[in-house]
Amino acid sequence: MEAIWLYQFRLIVIGDSTVGKSCLIRRFTEGRFAQVSDPTVGVDFFSRLVEIEPGKRIKLQIWDTAGQERFRSITRAYYRNSVGGLLLFDITNRRSFQNVHDWLEEARSHVQPHSIVFLLVGHKCDLEAQRQVSRQEAEKLAGAYGMRYVETSARDAINVEHAFTELTRDIFALVRSGDITIQEGWEGVKSGFVPNVVHSSEEVTKSDRRCLC
Amino acid sequence: MSTAYKNRIQEFKLALSEENIKLKTLRELCFNGIPFEGGIRALCWKILLNYLPLDQTLWESFLKKQREVYSQFLKEMIIQPGIAKANMSFSREDVTMEDHPLNPNPDSRWNTYFKDNEILLQIDKDVRRLYPDMAFFQRPTEYPCQLILDPQNDYETLRRRVEQTTLKAQTVNCNRSGVTNVSSPGKALNLYPSNEYEVLPNGSEAHWEVVERILFIYAKLNPGIAYVQGMNEIVGPIYYAFATDPNSQWKEHAEADTFFCFTNLMSENRDNFIKSLDDSQCGITYKMESVYSMLRDKDLVLYLKLEEQNIKPQYFTFRWLTLLLSQEFLLPDVLRIWDTLFSDEDRFHFLVLVCCAMLILIRDKILVGDFTMNMRLLQDYPISDVHTILTKAKELQDSS
Repeated sequence: MEAIWLYQFRLIVIGDSTVGKSCLIRRFTEGRFAQVSDPTVGVDFFSRLVEIEPGKRIKLQIWDTAGQERFRSITRAYYRNSVGGLLLFDITNRRSFQNVHDWLEEARSHVQPHSIVFLLVGHKCDLEAQRQVSRQEAEKLAGAYGMRYVETSARDAINVEHAFTELTRDIFALVRSGDITIQEGWEGVKSGFVPNVVHSSEEVTKSDRRCLC
Repeated sequence: MSTAYKNRIQEFKLALSEENIKLKTLRELCFNGIPFEGGIRALCWKILLNYLPLDQTLWESFLKKQREVYSQFLKEMIIQPGIAKANMSFSREDVTMEDHPLNPNPDSRWNTYFKDNEILLQIDKDVRRLYPDMAFFQRPTEYPCQLILDPQNDYETLRRRVEQTTLKAQTVNCNRSGVTNVSSPGKALNLYPSNEYEVLPNGSEAHWEVVERILFIYAKLNPGIAYVQGMNEIVGPIYYAFATDPNSQWKEHAEADTFFCFTNLMSENRDNFIKSLDDSQCGITYKMESVYSMLRDKDLVLYLKLEEQNIKPQYFTFRWLTLLLSQEFLLPDVLRIWDTLFSDEDRFHFLVLVCCAMLILIRDKILVGDFTMNMRLLQDYPISDVHTILTKAKELQDSS
C-alpha cells in the first residue's frame, strides 16, 4: 500500500495581532472565510494535506499563534519544533510591517539549534485602497532576509493555496537535498512511510482527489 | 414550567430573602445551576463573586457608593483627559506651554494619553467581535451611560479617540511610506469593514461599547496587566447576565456592577495573565500541568496516551483555563458552567476538575486517535452537553 503522505511538516504562523493569521489558516484548512473570529488566545492547531507533485503529498501541521505581546512566552515554545513559518503582516497596517524584523528576531532566538524556512506574507491584499505597504518595499525586505514574498487575501481566497504550497515545496527541496534532515526528538519533519488511514480531520482538497495509482 | 423547577426557584427565593444570606446554603443551591428567572442568576453571581455583602440591609448604601465610585473612574479616566485633549486641539499655539501633546518627556501626561490609545485600539478590535453568533452585543443598551453621552460635556470620547487614532495612523503612515497608491484624502476610509460591529448614532450606544469602557477602566486601574486578549470573553458573560436582568433596577447599573464583579474575579485569575509569572508557582504553566497531574491520578491510561503522543497540556489547556472555558462553549452553556465554578469555594481548582472531566469524557476517541485528530478534538471540543461534563467533574471531586 502506498503511503498517504511522504512527509509531515510542522509550520508556525506568526505576526502582529489582527493581521489575519487565523483567517488565513482557516481559509486554507477549512476552505471558508469567517467574517468575524475570536482573538487567538495561546495557540491553535490545524492540519491539511497538500499535493506538491502528482502523487507526492505532504501533511502539514499548522500552529496558529496569538499575536499579542503577552502570549510571547507561551508561543515561544513552538518555534523549536517547526520547520517552516509564515510571517504575516497586514498590507493596510504599516506598524505590522515594521514589526516583521522583531518577529524574525524572536523566532531566530528561540529556534536553536534548528532553523525555520520563512515565507513573508502580505495579507488582506483585497483591501488595495487602504494599502500602506507597497509590494516593492515588501519584496525588498523579504529579499534582504532571503525569504519569498506572497500577497494573500483570505476573504477573496487569493494566493492562499499558493502561499502554503510554495513554502511546502521549498521545505521539500531542502529535505531532498539533505539540508534539512529528520532527527529523533524533533517534530519539524517526520517521514510518513507508513500506511495511514485518511481521517476526516485531514481531508484532501478537491484537486487532490485524483487517483494515485 | 415544571413543578420541580418552580420549587427550585422557590428555594432560591427563600435563601435570598434572609436578611443575612447563608453563603453555604446559597453555594450548594447554585452549584447545580442558577435560574435566570427573576434575575436570580445575576443576583447570585454578585454574591458569589464577593461583590454584594451577605447582610442585605447594607446593600442599598453599598451599591450607591460603588456606583458613585465607578462614575468617578469614568470622570477621571475618560472624561477629564478627553476634555484636556479637546481643549488642546482648539489652541494650537499652546505648544510652548510646559506640557503639550508633542512633549517628548516620558512623564508627560500626553505620553500616557497616547499609550492609552494603543490599549484602547486593541480592546476596540476585540469587543467589536465579541460573541458574533448572537445579536445581543450589537444591540443598543436601554441604559446608555448618561455621564458619557452628556452633550454638555465637550470632550474626546472613547469613540472619538478610536476614530482619531485610526485616522491619524493612516495619514502619518501614508506620508512616511511614500507610497503613491493610497486612497485620496477625500475618499472615505473604510475603517471598519462590514464584518465588525458599527457604532450607533450619537445619543445611543451598543452593549459592546459598554464592555469596551469596562475593559478600558480596568486597564487604566491595573497597569501591570492592562488589557490582554481574551479578557473580553471574561467580561462578556458577566455583563450579559447583568444586562439581561429582568429587574430594571439592577439592569440599569449593569455596567458598574459588572466592572466590580469582573475586577473581583480577575483578582483570583490575574496571575494567569501576567507573562512574568508564567513559570512561577502561581502562574499558568503550573496550572496547566496540574490538569495532567490530576489526570494521571484519575485515568492513567488516558494520561499515558497523551504523553506518548507528545500532546502537552499547553497545547489546549491555556485557553481553557485562562478564559474559564468561555471560548469552548456557547454563551448559555458558559453561564451554566460559571454557575458551578462561581459557587465552588476553590473555583479555580474546580476548573481543573472540569478540564479533567472533559478529557475523560472523550477518552474513547482520544485512545484511538492520532496526534492530529486528538489535537483537533481538543481544540474544538465535541461535547456540548455541559451538564454531563459538570456531573463528571463533581464525581471526580467526590472521589478524591
